[in-house]
Amino acid sequence: MATELQNVDLKTDEMIINMGPQHPATHGVLRLILTLDGEMVRHVEPILGHLHRAQEWQGQNRTWFQYQALIDRVDYLSGMFTSWAMARSCEQLDGITVPRRAEYLRVLVSEMNRITSHLLWLGTYLIDLGAMFGFPFYPFREREKLLDLLEEIAGQRMMFNYIRIGGVQRDPKADWFQRVKKFTDEFPQRIDEYEAIVTENPIFLKRTKGVGILKQSVAKDYGVTGPCIRCSGIPLDLRRTKPYSVFPELKFDVITYDKEGDTWDRYMARILEMRQSNEIIKQCLDMIPEGEIMAKKQMAGMRIKAGEGFAAVESPRGILGCYVTSTGGEKPFRFRWRNPSFCNLSVLSELLVDSPIADIMAIFGSIDVILPDVDR
Amino acid sequence: MTHDAKPPAQPEAPLEPGQYGQFLKEHGIATNRLADSCGIETIAIQAEHLPSALKLLRNSQEVKLDLLITVSGVDNNETFDSVYHLWSYSHTNELVIKVMIKKTDVPEGKLPMVPSISNFWSAANWHERETYDLVGIRYSGHPYLRRILNPWDWEGHPLRRDYKQPVDGLNDKNPHSFR
Repeated sequence: MATELQNVDLKTDEMIINMGPQHPATHGVLRLILTLDGEMVRHVEPILGHLHRAQEWQGQNRTWFQYQALIDRVDYLSGMFTSWAMARSCEQLDGITVPRRAEYLRVLVSEMNRITSHLLWLGTYLIDLGAMFGFPFYPFREREKLLDLLEEIAGQRMMFNYIRIGGVQRDPKADWFQRVKKFTDEFPQRIDEYEAIVTENPIFLKRTKGVGILKQSVAKDYGVTGPCIRCSGIPLDLRRTKPYSVFPELKFDVITYDKEGDTWDRYMARILEMRQSNEIIKQCLDMIPEGEIMAKKQMAGMRIKAGEGFAAVESPRGILGCYVTSTGGEKPFRFRWRNPSFCNLSVLSELLVDSPIADIMAIFGSIDVILPDVDR
Repeated sequence: MTHDAKPPAQPEAPLEPGQYGQFLKEHGIATNRLADSCGIETIAIQAEHLPSALKLLRNSQEVKLDLLITVSGVDNNETFDSVYHLWSYSHTNELVIKVMIKKTDVPEGKLPMVPSISNFWSAANWHERETYDLVGIRYSGHPYLRRILNPWDWEGHPLRRDYKQPVDGLNDKNPHSFR
């Protein structure tokens, strides 16, 4: 019976299925319109905008000082980086030189922020893959410790508003550095714990090895940045390729994979990045100089010189930048965000084609998209 | 797993910064040098030359500006600008290209037109949709030009200078209150 059926062409129709926007694994609200052929995905159309908060419009209608406090919400998992991108673009327009202690503090807190962002990704990614047995609490345990430390200097748990135009908001106390040191000493063992559970886990390997391979040419065509492009063999890390702040003085290497990266490589790259950030934090703690932390007076009537410019930082997800146009007034003339999630998400429709429906979340999770960052 | 710790790629003798306008001129595309934006070469280009210029800059071996950072729309007071930030995956030079369309050249009730580049550069696809959505620049030849961030039936383009916010019919019954 079965052999007879193999040679018969059965007519099958493609089926259009809606996924989301309130799907628990879409990290916010993303809607996908899937065209399915049986189990296989043939076409994907992402629908964005459910979290659109008109950040660019608000940039044009707030003063510089007000808008500074708002932009942590662009990417709520890495608020330090959005603040830093804005601060850098305004500083290069205004010609401000940031004090060295402030630069070190910026690197320090932003690398801590990178670890928290990757830790949350690690926990939720395992949930996406179906590991709901309690693993996600292990990364969250360390994340809470870091967030407590960041809360102590910034006053807020996730919306820091700590990096300001011209410097940083306040100087931490001496014992804060010691507590960060203590954390960095014990953190590598914690990563070993996660790796013991996840990295060589046979179920995890089956779900991720060889799944969602991102070819280098496709990644370049779509403008993918961050860990995703480094896994496809291009060593693009702004901290090294276009060094800003005090990164030239710090010792670290760009993590790349020569082959075409699959989802397991992207997992591994983030694990290595956490270890790398830990080392950078240690170096910062040793090298941080004494001195001023702020170069520009923070006040309601703050102005930025006329001109336009683009400045970017390497966020946990890729190149995060802003294109600022100022006419010298109280408000920005035009504020344009370049969000890594937005650009990385556009490659999803290419990655998902011809993969089974069960792999959608494995692939989507591995490119680490934050929907507020996509929709702004 | 291969974890190479290698230094960043050295630029393979790219052109000097500030010579991209000259490069395009040698290939028969007229450009107009504008004031540098924070030290980055900025050129203005006619709308009809845009796709060929970007193809040249992206593919020729000595230039290789193959990372499209953003396509942004700006509603200046007299012009609509479509701004392209070009970076590279292999070296550190940058270029800003502007297509400026005078508001007086745009017919009444029509949107300014710029040729789309997303048929040969996929990175531009969503950026052009977003610029169409927010600033109202129509990219001719775009495969799927529809609103991306706002709902499909939204009226107006929010980042225009003359944009009027709609009255919130659900929560705000009085059309004259606070707006």
